[in-house]
Amino acid sequence: MKFRTTIAAVAVALLAASCGNSEGGSADSNGGGNEADSGGDGQVVAVDAPGVTDDEIRVTGIAAVTNPLDADYASAADGVEAYFAMVNDAGGIHGRDLVLSDVRDDKVANNTAEAKGIVDSDDTFAVLPVATLLFTGADTLVEAGIPTYGWTINPEWEGTEENPKENLFGQAGSYLCLGCPQAYPPYIAERSGRTKVGILAYNVPQSSTCASGWQESIERWGGPAGSEVVFSDSSLAYGTTDLSVQVQKMAEAGVNLVMTCMDNNAVVTLAKEMKKQGLDAIQLLPNAYNQEFYEEFGDLFEGSYVIIGFAPLETPEDLRPEGLDLYEEWIESTGGKTTENSMVGWLNAAAFVEALELAGPDFDRQKVIDALNDQTAQSAQGMLPDVNWKGYGHWQRNPRSCAVYLEIVDGEMAPTETDEIFTCFDVTGDELVRVGT
Amino acid sequence: MDILEYAIRGIPTGCVFALLAVGLVLTYKTSGVFNLAYGAQAFVSAACFFVLRKEWEWALVPAALVAIVVIGPALGLLLERTLFRYLRGSGAMAKLVTSLGLLIAIPEIVRLLIGQNAKQNPPPLWWVRRTDEWLWPEGGRFVLDAGQVATITSTVFVVIGLVVLFARTDLGLRMRAVVESARLSELHGVDSQRVSMASWALSSLLAGLAGVLVAPLFASLNPIDIFTLLIAALAATVVGGLTSIPLTFAGGIGLGVLQAVLAGTLPTDSVLASGLRPALPFVVLFLLLVFRPGLRAPEATDPMSSVDPPPPSPVSQTRPDWMAMGTRGFGVAVVVAGLWLSISVLDAFWLGLVTSGVVLGVIMLSITITTGLGGMLSLSPAAFAAIGAFATAQLVTATGMSVIIGMLLGAGVAAVVGGVLAVPIVRLGSVYLALATLAFALMFEAVLVPLGWVSGGSVPLRVPRPLLGGIDMADDRWFLLFAVICLTLCGIGVIRLREGTTGRYLQALHMSPAAAASIGISATRARVVAFAVAAGVAGFGGGLMASYLEQANYQASFGYLYGLVWVALVVAAGSRSVQAAVMAGLFFFLVPALLERLFEWPENVLESNPDLFEPLATILGWVSPTWAVPVAFILFGFSAITYARHPEGSIEAQTARAVNAIVRRVGHHDADPQHPDAPDTRKHGPVSSDADDGTFATGADNNPGSSESAHGDAVRHSSRSAAGTTSSTARGSASNGNDPEPVVADLSEPAGGAEPHVGPAPGSTPEGTQP
Repeated sequence: MKFRTTIAAVAVALLAASCGNSEGGSADSNGGGNEADSGGDGQVVAVDAPGVTDDEIRVTGIAAVTNPLDADYASAADGVEAYFAMVNDAGGIHGRDLVLSDVRDDKVANNTAEAKGIVDSDDTFAVLPVATLLFTGADTLVEAGIPTYGWTINPEWEGTEENPKENLFGQAGSYLCLGCPQAYPPYIAERSGRTKVGILAYNVPQSSTCASGWQESIERWGGPAGSEVVFSDSSLAYGTTDLSVQVQKMAEAGVNLVMTCMDNNAVVTLAKEMKKQGLDAIQLLPNAYNQEFYEEFGDLFEGSYVIIGFAPLETPEDLRPEGLDLYEEWIESTGGKTTENSMVGWLNAAAFVEALELAGPDFDRQKVIDALNDQTAQSAQGMLPDVNWKGYGHWQRNPRSCAVYLEIVDGEMAPTETDEIFTCFDVTGDELVRVGT
Repeated sequence: MDILEYAIRGIPTGCVFALLAVGLVLTYKTSGVFNLAYGAQAFVSAACFFVLRKEWEWALVPAALVAIVVIGPALGLLLERTLFRYLRGSGAMAKLVTSLGLLIAIPEIVRLLIGQNAKQNPPPLWWVRRTDEWLWPEGGRFVLDAGQVATITSTVFVVIGLVVLFARTDLGLRMRAVVESARLSELHGVDSQRVSMASWALSSLLAGLAGVLVAPLFASLNPIDIFTLLIAALAATVVGGLTSIPLTFAGGIGLGVLQAVLAGTLPTDSVLASGLRPALPFVVLFLLLVFRPGLRAPEATDPMSSVDPPPPSPVSQTRPDWMAMGTRGFGVAVVVAGLWLSISVLDAFWLGLVTSGVVLGVIMLSITITTGLGGMLSLSPAAFAAIGAFATAQLVTATGMSVIIGMLLGAGVAAVVGGVLAVPIVRLGSVYLALATLAFALMFEAVLVPLGWVSGGSVPLRVPRPLLGGIDMADDRWFLLFAVICLTLCGIGVIRLREGTTGRYLQALHMSPAAAASIGISATRARVVAFAVAAGVAGFGGGLMASYLEQANYQASFGYLYGLVWVALVVAAGSRSVQAAVMAGLFFFLVPALLERLFEWPENVLESNPDLFEPLATILGWVSPTWAVPVAFILFGFSAITYARHPEGSIEAQTARAVNAIVRRVGHHDADPQHPDAPDTRKHGPVSSDADDGTFATGADNNPGSSESAHGDAVRHSSRSAAGTTSSTARGSASNGNDPEPVVADLSEPAGGAEPHVGPAPGSTPEGTQP
């Protein structure tokens, strides 16, 4: 018995030692693509691409719809449907209608199988929207070279110089740069006149990385306004329900501006505790563009700031971009929900359609990818600050950082700027310099 | 002075911990069940209160009465009448697994009923819309909000009430007596069923109260939040030794105070703060479990429960040899055919699910070892899988070594961690061991996973696919083949372990620890070995999973909640069966997807038949593909509940049923036990028990409704065909066999008119398995 075991162990060791690692990504089990019809009426150029027929260009989405965490991002599909309805109403594109043929629910947040299924089915031209808690299927879609558009909340969207992931397109660029210093902490500190900053974050990597970036922002650019970080705690347990000690210490340190890289549970807990202890501070809320949330908790966040990367519904009339009016018109006519997710879906569809148009009537996947990557000012009819895909879309930080700042006033979000939608800064220097959109 | 202030600030949170912990202790004390589903019960009342108060706009008092006083106890009574009364004489494992199943199933049922959309701003148990709308004393240094006042008041009343109940009332005394021994209590004229119902009603009322009180701590209503808070409160239950209400209360308060003091005194940027503070409740729980000597004693059990034999041996050990050969051949054929079908027919989506299921099957085998062979309910399989995955990823990234070697080394790392962890915990009783493993999983998640050198930080670590002798596993079909080979080797390993010295030691320990110790078997050593091997297998599976997904992604693959569902699935399918572990792995990935396709069907029918008969269209339109995940989890949860009736597992039970049916049809040589082809009646012993016959009802099968049990058919057949009573069969087999079987007197309640009599132990060992 021992002899056999030894032999087996040696065999396994030799076998393992002879092994290497695959350098390629996982391959699809079935290859092949659809042969597109050649048309025949003289107006539609024949295209040989998956999901493209004489009449339709079909796309598929992946979204978190049902999962134990109650994350429901299904309304991203509403935005895509609305944009497609608008395009189709105007005659489609390249003689074809756009069809969102399916939205795959990634269920327990693991969407590798969904991505593989999409690749293998070979009946979809592009993947949009992608609105998921995690994006484990990213590499599968990168390797398949399918144009993919979605909500950039995961680092999987980001590329590197070696692997730029040039076919993944976030709603406003794909480079998330979680730990980078950002313009908004010092800007909000200066704008609100609240210069004593407290930073709170969970001890989970995304949250604590974000917090360190914000701390660096204040240290780097907060000087001229006299803002400084006087309290920070990035060791909070995820799901904590007690921030009484942190609030006490912030009160003792004189904090009047709190920046959090946490979820809505925590910011509500924090706001309640600040109210209890009488801490006169506002919050910077990077993840809370949600009017329903303020209908419940708005009074707790009076004077706080919400940050968003695209033109919000609250944009003043005289600044409203064309895209925003179209979004409202078509989301209503298609019966979709008006949410941040559906706006992201709309932006994803806008990027896709713009790329399709630029790729020309004899488009294919690579042409569509290249077309968008060649753009230096993609704006989704003015809903985005010009996105420079050519220079900084996938793996490099854009030296110009733009955002929209909304202030909570009487329980509602109100824009802070009245002369332009976006507030942009050059984030390359030692000083934070405001630049144009 | 500062410390005192921090301590005072920790008291309200301490009361939340205390309230939850006292409820858990009450349930354990009055029902003998360490009720992991307590949080799910709390969620039911919280959800009911939310709907009544916010959506139907009921007044506070009627909404509270219905949610807490009606729904809470009603749910408790339902659980008692349908499940737990039949588990009264069962071991801690059966009760724990059943409650685990309920924990998984109940919240999903509720979400199906009230809708899966987020329920924002759960209302407080106060006359305000939100807890902060009533503060007392306003402007003071220490201010309480409405929610805290309600919680503190309720907790104090509950603790005083329970102390009085147990110290001063007959009901309290009877509750404890029934838990200790329902049978003895009945001999003293106590109506154990009524007392048990009262216990469940009371503890469920408390769960309902806790749910309504803690829900407003969160911005939206979610069962996971409540469960997370509950497990943070587990340390308090251990302080109270699962029995003392005052000590539990003190433990809860102490935990809240300690948490606040550490938050106030530790430097926020220190390694100690970032490591210890988020994990404090779990660290305290773990340390208490390890270092509190009293917890090493086995849990108090019914002194008469020794009449209840352990569950039957796997049918693979008891079927006739000719059948074993046949089924093995058939099994190989099925695997080969399944593999061929998967590779040649399935598209990438289904191929991916099957591959994930096969890989998960490897991890599931670790549960087979700990729970099935070792009799230890480990709730940390996902943590060990993650350790293997991270170790593989780090080794491959750092050294560029072959990923297969990385997986093997990763398995080694997991095994070492498992072995080290096992040393202090394997002596704990079932409940405490389960809690210790849960605490370990949560400590791992809170302390180690956030560290970059462990998990890679915010970007998951990359893990390549193997390249084996020129075969590039980047092709999914080759990887499936590779995964099947790995699973097969691990499965064979588990079988060898089961049939080897350690396995037999474990089996002996499972049956009678005292008897095993008397012949020199070291329980600690055998269990530590089993635990380490299981951790190694889980680690290998984790590395394999990471290689398949090409990333070691904790949240996507190894969260501790996944581990709980995996345990429930394996135990439900058959914790001692390799086949069941494999099936459980496949079920986890395939069932939700299959259900989604099923629930899409009505939608497709409606699309293709717009003029469908109106009532039918309405019904079909009601069905939604979004039901797939909740229904899958409900099925997973309910399958664990069947453990009460089939401790051997549902797949094992079905297999036993099939084997018995075949034996009945084919094996007509029973009457001649000397016939060379005759099914070995001695081997049939384990699969021939039936509570209805009063032969040898297992603890879990001590159920008047269990006449459908798989092995029931066999005993009836055995009783008849062996031309005598079961006892004569037993005596015959015992005297005929090579290994004498223990003969125990069955004094369980005679059901179906059968008289108590002597029968063989269902857990009797197969040939040559006696240590």
